[in-house]
Amino acid sequence: MHGFHGRFLHVDLDSGRPQWRETGEERLRGFVGGIGLGTSLLYEFAPPGVEPLAPENPLVFASAPLAGTGLTTTAKYAVVTKSPLTGFIADSLSSSFFALAIKAAGLDALVVTGRAARPVYLLVHDGAAELRDARHLWGKSAAEAESTVRAELEGAAVRVAAVGPAGENLVRFATISNEGRHAGRGGVGAVMGSKNLKAVALCGNQCVETADPEGVATAAAALRQRSLGPHTAKYREVGTVANLAVFDRLGALPARNFQQPTFDAADELSGESLTETSFSRRNGCASCTIRCERLFKASSGGEQRMEYETLFALGPLCGLEDREAVLEAARLCDGYGLDSISTGGTLAWAMECAERGLLPEAGGLRFGAAEAVLDAIPAIAERRGVGDLLADGSRRAALALGHDSLDWAMQVKGLELPGYEPRSLKTMALGLAVSPRGACHNRSGAYEADFSGKVDRLDSAPPRGALVAASEDFAAALDSLIVCKFLRNCFQDFYAEAADLLAKVTGWDYGAAELRLAAERIHTLKRRFNEREGWQPEDDALPPRVLTESLATGVARGTRLTRDELRDMLRDYYDAREWDEDGRVSEAKLKKLGLSA
Amino acid sequence: MTGESDTVGSAVVLAGGKSSRMGRPKAMLPFGEEPLVALVVRGLAAVFPDVVVVAAPGQELPELPATLVRDEVAYQGPVGGIRYGLEACRSAAAFVTSCDVPFLDLSLVSHLAARLPDHDVVVPHWEGRLQPLHAVYRRSVLPLLERQLQRGELRPVFLYDKVRTLTLAEDEVRALDPDGWSFFNMNTPEDYERALARWRETPASAPGGGAGRCEVELFGVARLRARTGRVSVELPREATLAHVWSALALKLPALVGPVLTETADGLTAGHVCNLNGRDFVRDGSRRVAPGDRVLLMSSDAGG
Repeated sequence: MHGFHGRFLHVDLDSGRPQWRETGEERLRGFVGGIGLGTSLLYEFAPPGVEPLAPENPLVFASAPLAGTGLTTTAKYAVVTKSPLTGFIADSLSSSFFALAIKAAGLDALVVTGRAARPVYLLVHDGAAELRDARHLWGKSAAEAESTVRAELEGAAVRVAAVGPAGENLVRFATISNEGRHAGRGGVGAVMGSKNLKAVALCGNQCVETADPEGVATAAAALRQRSLGPHTAKYREVGTVANLAVFDRLGALPARNFQQPTFDAADELSGESLTETSFSRRNGCASCTIRCERLFKASSGGEQRMEYETLFALGPLCGLEDREAVLEAARLCDGYGLDSISTGGTLAWAMECAERGLLPEAGGLRFGAAEAVLDAIPAIAERRGVGDLLADGSRRAALALGHDSLDWAMQVKGLELPGYEPRSLKTMALGLAVSPRGACHNRSGAYEADFSGKVDRLDSAPPRGALVAASEDFAAALDSLIVCKFLRNCFQDFYAEAADLLAKVTGWDYGAAELRLAAERIHTLKRRFNEREGWQPEDDALPPRVLTESLATGVARGTRLTRDELRDMLRDYYDAREWDEDGRVSEAKLKKLGLSA
Repeated sequence: MTGESDTVGSAVVLAGGKSSRMGRPKAMLPFGEEPLVALVVRGLAAVFPDVVVVAAPGQELPELPATLVRDEVAYQGPVGGIRYGLEACRSAAAFVTSCDVPFLDLSLVSHLAARLPDHDVVVPHWEGRLQPLHAVYRRSVLPLLERQLQRGELRPVFLYDKVRTLTLAEDEVRALDPDGWSFFNMNTPEDYERALARWRETPASAPGGGAGRCEVELFGVARLRARTGRVSVELPREATLAHVWSALALKLPALVGPVLTETADGLTAGHVCNLNGRDFVRDGSRRVAPGDRVLLMSSDAGG
């Protein structure tokens, strides 16, 4: 077999027994790798209706066919499980050397079930798996755990993914991190923590041959060249923080818990200002020519990585104007292993509650109260005081608090909204409503239509459904191959070129049509998983604030998104997907995709 | 890469022509409350930090925001004027024009300047003829002009074969100035009357006449490259996005290549404009009105 090992490892932490299983070529052709492979394994391993934090919920780490081939931006892996935040699928990506180590250790994927009796870490070394005591790592940040494990295994080129205290304490939006990067959304870190699994350490020298090494090398050279062209200039020269100023100008930057789509201190917090005054260095994942990561100098003397979503969520969303405070808040989230979007979203909900006099125990949490934010983040990670409530995310916290506070819990399916204002980005609004993992900006790029001029972003007229469906499928293909989405505009004919890459790596006779079908199959299986876990039509929704309040500031001031508009867009989407009118995947569609029972 | 500077930071106005058929000095023909040469210089000064006026010895001129030089030897024709003008310029290259052109189109001028890289001269075609007094010259051609003068070759076209000359096709010119009013110059009292009539009707079409300005806001790569987040651009009448790009290329040459195409007539693949926070556009023919806000940003939104 080329491009894969053909086997994955299932470790049951209850028994400690590792078991090798064949991945199967049919599964690989049908689900490609990454998110697709992870979804397929989740569907198989998760008992229907499983509690996300129960031992039976599988935690899947999935590699991908392009990982380790040297193709730029492909050192990525997927983490897939049932989310403790949403109760639906959580499919997150992370990247860099740990992704390469999955391949080198001889795995197509790792499935972890059960719960260890005490904290452990899993070491897979050249095909041999063992559980090791991790009591000395408990309480450490992921970065500390990573360096400790690497030091203990001196001599081995080991790579480590770990949870921080937030994962140990079952914060429902805890991350899994490796080398400073995170599988961030949906609380995959809490699932890992619930298993008493502090870390996974991998090493080995098990190469995967490609079917056409020369062809792969030629394609890699061409892709590398394109990755340095104008389509990636934003990521190379500014990083994702470039979004903040332009989103503000377009009335698409959610601020103060989505009470306004612009922020007075946007220029102070903008990526451009940060770059001009506080740039420290640029970093990149393994095998990446784009190197989008930016670290900025903090006045404390250190440096902190910053991405747009973190900047938005801990800055404008919480009303924080002080960039030093935002950098420090980001450092805390990274250290404890918290999803910065959900952290910011949940804090913003709490701030609004406090300003309405509903959450007296929130201390000084108010919009713009930097000190209170810096106190609250550790409290969430350690589940102390009001932090215990907030550690369950905004939806659960609102349901616990009551008083209509769900109206301003800015989440979909329990996942807090990213930094895209749905009322001024109406294709994105639909994308957020229907995404299987909740309010997500990664598993589709629906906002691209809004920012391209293809549609009037302030108007919800059709055909929004087809645009969102196409964007989701495109993302499913990218996330399964895996190719970084920042390379997305470097392809002229994505499906043909990507299928050709896959054919060169695997030796399969694989064309654009098969890849398109696989992408749709992957997305549909996520949806199908959610249906199995209790999805109802009312779960494809947007927060009440979005559907009842018009935008208060900026160029899109006065713009609304009504319930009728959302209903029409949903119908258009289900129609484009050829699903039932209430959004259930039809039997005919399942059959067409080979997903029938 | 030659390492040569492609900055066109100067403009040269040749004011010392004979004006024999006009019967009076063309430079001093009144347009509104100011003489023509002042109108032309004022327009060019809005775009070029350095303006040089070349006058005949003893020629009367008004106060001008420009460096004044005199032909040492009068009536050597345009080559003499270009030579004295270039010599006095502070920039590596200059846009050269006569003083009797009331309808200079600054977008076209900016476009010529943006086309300079890898050339020594950029000269447009209009109605089948090259327009040497509406052209961009590098200062490095000075020694060749000296030799031409010594040989009595008083026509600029003799230079063009000897250096890297880019002649702009008429179509390229028409894209910015469809009726070629840029090249309208005045030789007779009738020409003056015609120009005055058009000028009174549409004074905004004259350089510096002020169709108005638009604000360009720069984001991301554009802002970091240009080292500014905002710039104001003079618009001709019936301005388009292409006019804005040309003017930007001249004001912020660092944008050419990374953000604007090398010819400054388009955006690179990774960029897009947005008008007033509403419409995303890449089409250069899109109209831009005075007071519009043009946002220049990455087309790779989100992420």
